[in-house]
Amino acid sequence: MVLLRRIEGADGRIDLRDVTVRYGRRLALEAVSGEFVSGSMTAVVGANGAGKSTLLAAIAGEVPLAGGVVNCAARKRLAYLPQHAAIDRDYPISVSELIALGGWPEFGAFRSPSAALWARVAAAAETVGLAKRLTRSVDELSVGELQRALFARLIVQNAAVILLDEPFAAVDAQALSVLLDQVMQWHEKERTIIAVLHDLDLVRSHFPSTLVLAQRCLAWGKTAVALPALAA
Amino acid sequence: MSAHALFIEPFETLAFMRTALVACLALALANGAVGTLLILRRASLDGDVLGHAVTPGAAIGFLYAGPSPVWLSLGGIAGGFGVAALAGLIGKKQAERDLGLVAFYLIALSLGVLLIAWRGSNIDVMRVLFGTVLSIDYRALLQVAVVSSVIVLVIAALYRPLAVGSFDPTFLRVASGRAPYGAVFSVLVVLALVASFQAFGTLLALGPLLLPAAAARCWRLGVAGSMTLATGFGAAASLAGLLLSYHGNLPSGPAIVLSAGLLFGVSFIAAGLLRRLAPLMG
Repeated sequence: MVLLRRIEGADGRIDLRDVTVRYGRRLALEAVSGEFVSGSMTAVVGANGAGKSTLLAAIAGEVPLAGGVVNCAARKRLAYLPQHAAIDRDYPISVSELIALGGWPEFGAFRSPSAALWARVAAAAETVGLAKRLTRSVDELSVGELQRALFARLIVQNAAVILLDEPFAAVDAQALSVLLDQVMQWHEKERTIIAVLHDLDLVRSHFPSTLVLAQRCLAWGKTAVALPALAA
Repeated sequence: MSAHALFIEPFETLAFMRTALVACLALALANGAVGTLLILRRASLDGDVLGHAVTPGAAIGFLYAGPSPVWLSLGGIAGGFGVAALAGLIGKKQAERDLGLVAFYLIALSLGVLLIAWRGSNIDVMRVLFGTVLSIDYRALLQVAVVSSVIVLVIAALYRPLAVGSFDPTFLRVASGRAPYGAVFSVLVVLALVASFQAFGTLLALGPLLLPAAAARCWRLGVAGSMTLATGFGAAASLAGLLLSYHGNLPSGPAIVLSAGLLFGVSFIAAGLLRRLAPLMG
């Protein structure tokens, strides 16, 4: 069991080599190289337009690379939470169905979700404080509650690599503490976590590693060492 | 006038009314499911474009073989796929994309009309643009039924990825390893439009596709519920439209689309009122 966990953990490594992304003529990311160690927890910071979201999308395989390579052995066990603009909040889907989607690798396009999965859905909803809202429709949720539901989906997904794009934007203080707790739990379980964040105090207090971006990689390492590069 | 004379007699006495009704019901089955997904994807404009993109293809089919349903359909399918592929090339920015799509459909529509008018008559132009639901023969009916069945079966098989793909496409892409469900759906839309196109023409084919689905969407049911209701609305609009055209001596295609539009208007207002009244009633 211990061995299994180590192997699982070793899967979570992400290796970037000269990763370059262009949107038309605009260079969004230029030759970013480095390694997210398996089980590491990294904050990605930088000014607006520094390529933070692009970096996450590139790792998730959502944008084509103009150059370079992303090596991620756990591609099949990768969870990616983009900024919530990407989700249609008006869609007729219930909170429990949304959370159950996290089990996609288990049921895929054709099989039906197992009873065990529904139990995990209920447990995940309990963890993020949405147990009473399971039967509600997604359009009845507030922004904070939707984010909680998406976190519950991540819990069910049980991924080795978790990419979070501004996961705490527009959520209230109460939701923030619940969600942050969850991130810390993933960290304890040695998942590889990469989060785009704006709140530098939060980065200092909770994230061991930081990557400072300005199209290029300005600094990457221990938060205390790397973060000052942002101001410079 | 008795109920029998009002509702039954037109279909009892006239074979072409019966054929038209069966064709419309078959179309309603496919259109309910495809239209609902199209609306949930917020891709009604894409549907619009594909609808008109069918025109030049159908026109070339017409030039080649005259008004034969098979050639018109084959041309329409080719045109639809061509434009769907071209539309995939234009930018990702919403405004740019919308503009590109509108340009596409205006060009496709005028090109199609020019091509038909070049060799055919005004009647041919009208036929391609507005369809001839009452002149559907047995072979065309079979064709409509087969295409509709295929569409319904494919949607039944791929229901989950199609539904999830319209809710959270990024999640589906990451989770399913980039299976091309979007492309499959575009194919389904083109097929649905081509099936509708002999009955309603390239201009109106989008009506029976989108209006019943839009009417059903007002009632805020789940995805499967919306599809079922849309199919029911489509069938009701077909029946009402055909009867309206019979008794009022009006063109059938527009009468059916108008009935569907009426259903949308009523649903929009009634569902809105109900939502506002519900809290008051406790």
